[in-house]
Order: sequence, then C-alpha cells, then structure tokens
Amino acid sequence: MPDTSPVSAPDRSVLLDHVSIRFGNFTAVDNANLKINSGEFFSFLGPSGCGKTTLLRCISGFSEPTEGRVLIGAKDMKGVGPNKRPTALIFQHLALFPLMSVADNIAFPLEVRGVGKKMRRKRAEDLLDMIALPGIGDKKVSELSGGQKQRVAIARALAVEPDILLLDEPLSALDLKLRQHMRTELRAIQQQVGVTFIYITHDQGEALTMSDRVAVMSKGVIEQVGAPDQIYNRPRSSFVASFVGENNALKGVVKSQSEDMAALETPMGTFEARVGGGRKYKPGDEALLFVRPEQLVPGQAENAFQATLSRQEFEGATNHVFARAGDTELRVSMVNAGLAGSVGSKGDTLSLGFAPMNATILPVGQIASEA
Amino acid sequence: MSRAVVFGGAYAIAFFSFLFGPLIIMVVTAFNSSKFPRVVPWECFTTGWFAELFGNQRLMDGLLNSVIIGVGVVALAVPIGLAGALALSELPSKLRATLYTVLILPILIPGVVLGISTIVLWGQISRGLGGAVQAGIYNGYFLTIVGQITFVSAYAMLVFIARLQRFDATQTEAALDLGATPGQAFRKILLPFMAPAIGSAAFITLLASFENYNTTVFTVLSESTFTTALASKVRHGTDPSLSALAVIIITITLVGALTNEAVQRRKEAELGGKASRSPLYANPVTRALTHPGVVFAILVAIVATVSYIGSKHDSSVCEAAILQDKLGRQAELRAEQKAKIEAQEAEQGITVPKPEGGFGGAFGGLGGAAPTPAAPKPEGGFGGAFGGIAPPAPSE
Amino acid sequence: MKHLTQAYRALANRHGLGAALFVAIAVTLWVVVFITLPQLSMLDYSFRFNLPADQIGTDADHYTLDNFHSFFFNSDGSLNTLDLVILGRTLLAAAIVTLIDVLICYPIAYILAHGAKGVAARLMVIGLILPYWINEILRAFAFRVLFGATGVVNTVGMQMGLWDVPVDFIRADVALYFGLSYAYILLMIFPMYNAIEALDHTQVEAARDMGAPLWRVHWRVVLPIAKPGIVSGATMVFMLTAGALAAPQILGGPSNLWFTQVIYQWFNESSNWPRGSAYAVVLLLTCISFVLLMMRVFKVSVGEIGK
Repeated sequence: MPDTSPVSAPDRSVLLDHVSIRFGNFTAVDNANLKINSGEFFSFLGPSGCGKTTLLRCISGFSEPTEGRVLIGAKDMKGVGPNKRPTALIFQHLALFPLMSVADNIAFPLEVRGVGKKMRRKRAEDLLDMIALPGIGDKKVSELSGGQKQRVAIARALAVEPDILLLDEPLSALDLKLRQHMRTELRAIQQQVGVTFIYITHDQGEALTMSDRVAVMSKGVIEQVGAPDQIYNRPRSSFVASFVGENNALKGVVKSQSEDMAALETPMGTFEARVGGGRKYKPGDEALLFVRPEQLVPGQAENAFQATLSRQEFEGATNHVFARAGDTELRVSMVNAGLAGSVGSKGDTLSLGFAPMNATILPVGQIASEA
Repeated sequence: MSRAVVFGGAYAIAFFSFLFGPLIIMVVTAFNSSKFPRVVPWECFTTGWFAELFGNQRLMDGLLNSVIIGVGVVALAVPIGLAGALALSELPSKLRATLYTVLILPILIPGVVLGISTIVLWGQISRGLGGAVQAGIYNGYFLTIVGQITFVSAYAMLVFIARLQRFDATQTEAALDLGATPGQAFRKILLPFMAPAIGSAAFITLLASFENYNTTVFTVLSESTFTTALASKVRHGTDPSLSALAVIIITITLVGALTNEAVQRRKEAELGGKASRSPLYANPVTRALTHPGVVFAILVAIVATVSYIGSKHDSSVCEAAILQDKLGRQAELRAEQKAKIEAQEAEQGITVPKPEGGFGGAFGGLGGAAPTPAAPKPEGGFGGAFGGIAPPAPSE
Repeated sequence: MKHLTQAYRALANRHGLGAALFVAIAVTLWVVVFITLPQLSMLDYSFRFNLPADQIGTDADHYTLDNFHSFFFNSDGSLNTLDLVILGRTLLAAAIVTLIDVLICYPIAYILAHGAKGVAARLMVIGLILPYWINEILRAFAFRVLFGATGVVNTVGMQMGLWDVPVDFIRADVALYFGLSYAYILLMIFPMYNAIEALDHTQVEAARDMGAPLWRVHWRVVLPIAKPGIVSGATMVFMLTAGALAAPQILGGPSNLWFTQVIYQWFNESSNWPRGSAYAVVLLLTCISFVLLMMRVFKVSVGEIGK
C-alpha cells in the first residue's frame, strides 16, 4: 500500500538484492541484483525459459527466493503473501473471473477488502471510464473482445491502486495491429497513473518501445540493464548484441587496443571498432565483432570489404539483403530506394563498409539462436 | 460396407427391443384389470391399479422414509465427496493414486457387505455406549444413512473431480494477488465454479440413495424404504399396481428427459448464436413455447389431464361383466360335470361327492370376492419387521 | 506422513484454513469410520461365537475359526458341499452372465462409437440410460411378468405352437439369467464405449479398404483398443452380479440359491450374525481376488470407473 508520509512521494521501487531462485538442482534465476525505480516502466526481455516469469512470480509473492531478498518500497517482503503485497499481477491469460460481470471483476479487489456496494460500483465506473470502456459494466466477460479483456484486466488490477503492476506477456495472445495499439495504450495508462510497471516479454519491439529501462535475461542471468537505446547501441555481451535486434557477428582475433577502440583481424580483413563493456584485450585474444544490418553501408570507406550478393528479402520499407563474405553470410538492411534504384542481383559484388563507432567488439559468448 | 450397416441397424433394433420390451409390456399390464399382471387375456382397461398403488400404506410409508434418508444422505455425501476431490487435488501422484483407490473401493465392494459391516460396527458401538445414544444410533435411519454414505460419497466425488479438473487454477492466484485471503478465494471463486457440479452431485446422490437395495435391506432394520417395501411386495404377491408404479416412473423420466433436452437445445442455441438466426426464436410465440420452463409446464399439464381423466374412468361395469362371464362359464362347467357324474352314477350305481368349486384353481377362487393380494408375510428380519431384536452377538 | 501434512498446508495456503480443516476431517472420517472400521468390525465378528447377550465378555467369548470352518466342512467333518456348491454356482453364473453381457454389448458400444452420427447417437444414449432410471426391483419384476406362466413369452410360444403347457422359466432359471444380463448392461457398455471411442475410425476404414473381412478387422484393430474397456466393464458386471440380491430373490427358482441369499438367511432367519459375517468375508475376499486376478491377467489398473 502506498507510503502515506505527507512530505515525500510514495516509494514504488523494487529492489532485488542478490536474488537467486532454485528448484532442486535447477537454477531458474541466478543472482539477480538490480533496482527498479519508483514510477518506472521496466521490462524484462528474454527468450522463453530464461527465468523472467519465475522472477515475476517471486516479486508477486507466489514463491520465495532461495537466496537474497526482495524489497518493495524499501520493505523486505520475506514471508509476505501475494495478497498482502502492494503488487498486482496481470496473468498471461488474464484470469478474469468468467462467472462475474465486468463490473464485479473490476470491483473484486475492493469487495475482498470489505468496501461497500455503492462505493464499489462507483469505483468500477471510474475505472471503466479510465480505460475508455464506459457502460460495459454489466456485460459478461465472455462477451468482450481480446483488447477489451486486456483493459478490464488492467482496470481490475488498478482498482486498489497498487504500487507495482506486474504484466506477464500480456500482449502475446493478440494480433499484430491490436498489439501495436495496446503498446501505446499501456504506456499512456502507466504515465497517467504513475504506478511502477514491471513488464516481461520475449518481444523486443514491445520492450524497446514501451520501457524506460530494459533488463535482458538469458538462462537465469541478467545480462544487461539499461535504457532501450543503450541496450541496442551499446550491448555488453554477445547474447544481448544478438538477441536484441538483428546483428552480424564476425569472428576474429584482437590485434591491438587503445582506450575504447580496438582492431580485430578477421578472414575478411582487419576492422576497427568500439570495445564493448569496457573490457581490456591482449593481442591474440579471440573476440566477436558485431555490426548491425543497418550500419553496413554500400560504398562506405571505413572498414570496407567485398561481399557477394546471395539473396534479397523485400519487406516493403526495408530490403533485407544477404551477402556472402568469406564463409559468413551477412545481413544488410537497406532502405527501399523505391523505383529509383536497385541493389543488384544474385552474384553481384557489393562494396560494404561501416563506421567504427557503430560496431562493437565483444567476448565470444552465447549467441541468441534464430527464431 | 452397407451389409455391415444393415446388420448393425438390425442388431441395434433387436438390442433396444430387448432393452425396452419388458418395460413396454409392464406398462401395458398396468391397464389390464386382470389380477395378475398380464397382457393376454385382456380383460378390461382400467386405471384402478394406480389408486391401489397409492393406497398401499407400506409403500407410502417407505416412500417417506426414502425421502428422509435421501435428504440425509445428500446433505452428508455431497460435502464429503467435495472434500475427497479437494484432498486428491493437492496430493503428490503416488499418494493420490492410493487415496483414490481407497475412496473408490466402496463402489466395488458388494452392497451386502457394506450393509452387514455397517450394522455390525454400529451395533457394537451402540451397545458399548448404551442408553439413549443406543436408540439414536441403532435405528434404520441412522444406519442406512451411514451405510449409504460410504459409497454414495464416491459418486459425488467423481462428479467433483471432473469439474475440478476444468478449473483454471490461475483464477485462485489472481484472486489472492488482488488481495483476497485464501478463504475468500475459496468462497468467491472456487465454490461458485463448482456450483453446477454440486447440483449434479446432489441429484446423482439422491438417486443412488433412493434406489439402493443391497445395502439398505440390511441397514434399515425394522423400517423400510420405498425400494425395500417394493421388493418385499414383489416377492410376496405381484399385482399390477407395481406395473402402475413403473408407468409413473417412466412418465416422470420422460418428462425429465424431454425437459432436459429442451434446456440443452436452448443453451446450445444461445451460446452458439443460433438464437438470433433461428426462425423459431424470431417469432415470440414459438420462442416462449420452446422455453424449457414452458415445455415442462406443458408436459406436466398433459400428464395431469390424462391422470385426471384416467381417474374418472370407471371400469367396474366392464369388470362386472367379465365376472358374470366367468361365473356363467363356471356354472356351465359344473353343470356339465354334474351331468357326467350322474351319468356315471347311473351306469355304476355309485354316488360320488361333488367336487369343490373352482377347477384346478384356474379361476382363482371366484364366487364373489376377488382374491386380495396375499398380505405380506411378516419378514423375519431386514426390510421388514425386525421386531427390535438386538443382534445376539458378542461385542468387544 | 510427511506428504499428508504437506498437502494439508498446501490446501490451507490455497483455499484457506477453514477449507483445509474441513477436508482433513471429512476425508479422515470417510476413510476411517465409514470405510475401514466397518470392515474390520465385520472381520472381527466373523471370528466369534454366536452368543446370547448375557454371555458376551465371558470366557465363552473367545476367538474361533468355527464360522469359517463350517463354511468348508459340515459338523460331521464332511465337505460342506451345499454352501460350497452354492458359492461355486453363483460365481459360475456370474461369469456366464458377464460373458453374455460382453457379447451383446460389444456391437452396440462399437456402433455407438463409430457407426451412429449426431441425432441417432444421442437417441441411442438416451435409449440406453432411460431403462436404468427404473428401479432395479421393477426391472426384475418386469422379467417376472414376462416369463411367468401367463406371461408374454409363454403366451406367444403357445400361440405359435412351440409348446403346449406353460414352461416354468422361473424354475429353470432362464428368467434369472435374462434378468441379470439385463441389469448391468449400462455398466458394461459405457466403459467399452469410452475405450472404443479412442480408436481413430479411419484405421478401421483403412483395414477394410485393404480387404480384411469384418471379423478380422475387429479382432486385430478394434479389440486391442477396446480391451481395457471390456475388462473394466466385465469386472464391474461380474462383481455386481455375484453380489446381486434383488434379482435372485425375485427371479430365482427355489433350486437356485444365490450366495448372497445364503448370507441374508444367516442374518435374517437364523440370527447368526457371526456366521453371516464370515460368509460375507468369504464373498468379499472372492470379489477382491477376482478383481486382482483380472488386473493381473489383463494388466489394467484401478482408475477405470468412468461413470
């Protein structure tokens, strides 16, 4: 429940203090240590099985951490059950109560706290207005569309003004257009209400467009935490570089490093790029060079090399061009030149290059697999 | 393939004839005024056996007892069955299988064994406790309820298990997350979900209790339930009032089945959206007519009307005519016999005492009173007059 | 046991203390007081003498094997052929009835699962269930009417000239066999139906397509799938038939006593509860052995009651 001290704003932060969650021999979450700020829209991004749902349920109170502490609003939540925590969880399949009307669903948190009927009705109506669905209070849940159900679930969760709203892949069941619409909606609601949103998803588009900060997770480990552009432009591990967005990885050996730039020798040539994660390499160390498809520019002078065009995937605004250099297939994203230009055809030689600042050198590590 | 279809169809017809045949015949015999239920010879159409049925005091008393016991059994078996289903849902799989087997066992154990074990145990207990408690425990009502609960709860449990499996457990989690205590979540989320199952379980339980015989016949001591009274009546003297009972039950079942069909159809139509498209529902008159409640009311009205008309039907004239007929024939035969004997006497010059009335008993003691069904012999034990004899056996 | 307390705690966490307490008490009551204790009590009784009330608790009241002994042997030491034969005949008759039921129900179960569509199927199901709403007593009575001296069978038979004098079907136990076969058809059909339904009908069609005669298709394709259903149905029918009381009482001729009727007599007419209990124990053990035997031979488990 909100901190009611008259001077300061309520503390809606979440602190994960070296939290590990183990089931027998299996480690679902390994030493998660981060702070989510009050009023932030924070996302956990990662492939399925990375532990993000487990972490969410732990913050909600459905399980206790094997090690470490969870603090909400600076209070240790050890031993505090889910019904006593100032959190509300939006389940993946929403878990709306089918036998109750929409209004009763929304008013349920108030009902179990003993709030009177009239007050409940009023609050339900206010919330329905807030989610832009006035007047559907008497309908049955089964009569609603997917998007409407989403919003009702959110209204229900917000009914008792929780400090933290946790969302478990809420948009995964919706179709594309609706998903995009709901992204904007959710962000708007969050800004309006000021509640801390903790959002988990495997869809990077969602995570990047909606969040203040993102934590990328893989196999129970939090690989990197940062603002969306940081995650994208300054990945600190191979997994983050390959999981978030598309990326090309070139394997090579470090020739030299000075400050935060280094030279990497690869079969296709020696390239200069930024060193990621502030690491120090010795000459001879193996490393990977990551360069985004959109950073590979035809005719660019710096870090130039030749590649053979193998195929193209035309996706409307973007043309995905695949070119072979050595035994690596590179992915190049080109803006559709329209009717004015053409990239070439299979077998053509392309001259590509990239700016050193736009490529990152990272240690050899886990690469997120395709699909 | 069509040969198989023909064979299949023929077999199905034969099978269902076997299934329904005896019942149809029984229904027919209910309206034959003949004293013994039969189809031929057909004497008179009568509805008198229905009156006879309701006039049977023992059956009616048994009916009351069945209702009392049934209510008691439902009140206990449904919660116990629910408890069993809930217990199973939280156990790890091996223990779960064991408990499931134990709880299902009473269904497999022969009913007589359940009945016997019940009276033996509670007989011992009540003798140990003595006094007023003894009378409170050791009577047909308590013992029958206890005996039946043993296996009837398992039926209820099966219904609940099926329903519970379809419950989405995340709903309970959502309720907890939103601030409900576990108790609140149980009462406001789980129980409402189980409500239809509670209805089904209650219904099945009541039915199972009502028609149970094997166990009840031991536990009911000197009382009787409808079923045990029925059984003793059948064993001691059959008459078509039993057929009349069958007619009543069949009618109730048909009304129930038709109403249920109407309910299902309507539910289907409403959920499937057919309601708006079907011409039947568009017309307000037919829509009202196909409403299950209306269907039920119409059926009940039909039954009531037919029953009323039937009760007014007087077959006494027809029966009197038949009686005359039989008497006449008996007199004829007697006259014939007499003539034959007198002829013999005349030949041989001996007098032979006249034979008693009634030839080979074929006319069942006519000459006035119709034979009343033999009064049920006093049972020497269960399902009848137990006579309050305490079980003469050692206690612990 | 640890698992039980764990389960109790899980129940309390999920559904509240009230619910957990209720479940614990109700299930314990059910298992101990309603299921276990009566059987133990009956077992105890079966080992005691049939003493009048005043001799209870005295020296005369000690455990004995007399009741069981008298089941197997007469007082003069000879084999108690009467009771043993009755038990044997009951079991044999139950087996025959079970077999009859398997044979007549299999085609219907198959037709229901694969032949009939939509409305026809629903009608068939209703047609199957409807007769069983009628009290079992009345159903037995119906057969009594059917097979009586003036019943339909005799009347038709004599009209058709098949026989001249009414055949006493009841004395010949024909009525009883018919009645018993009829009684538990529902319990035989539905397990069979459930099992056969799992079979993908296209397999049957494929087999027919390949030229297999119908009997072979059933033998090789359908029966293996139907087996658990058949076994579970047969087990239930056998147990219920062996333990039947109403049908033998109503339809049985004087020569054919059912074992349950013998038990009934010990309680009812002879007031010899211990001996009756002993015989009940014999019946119970026989049934349990049968179930275990079936489970072992056909490798079926207990979880197959699909009512």
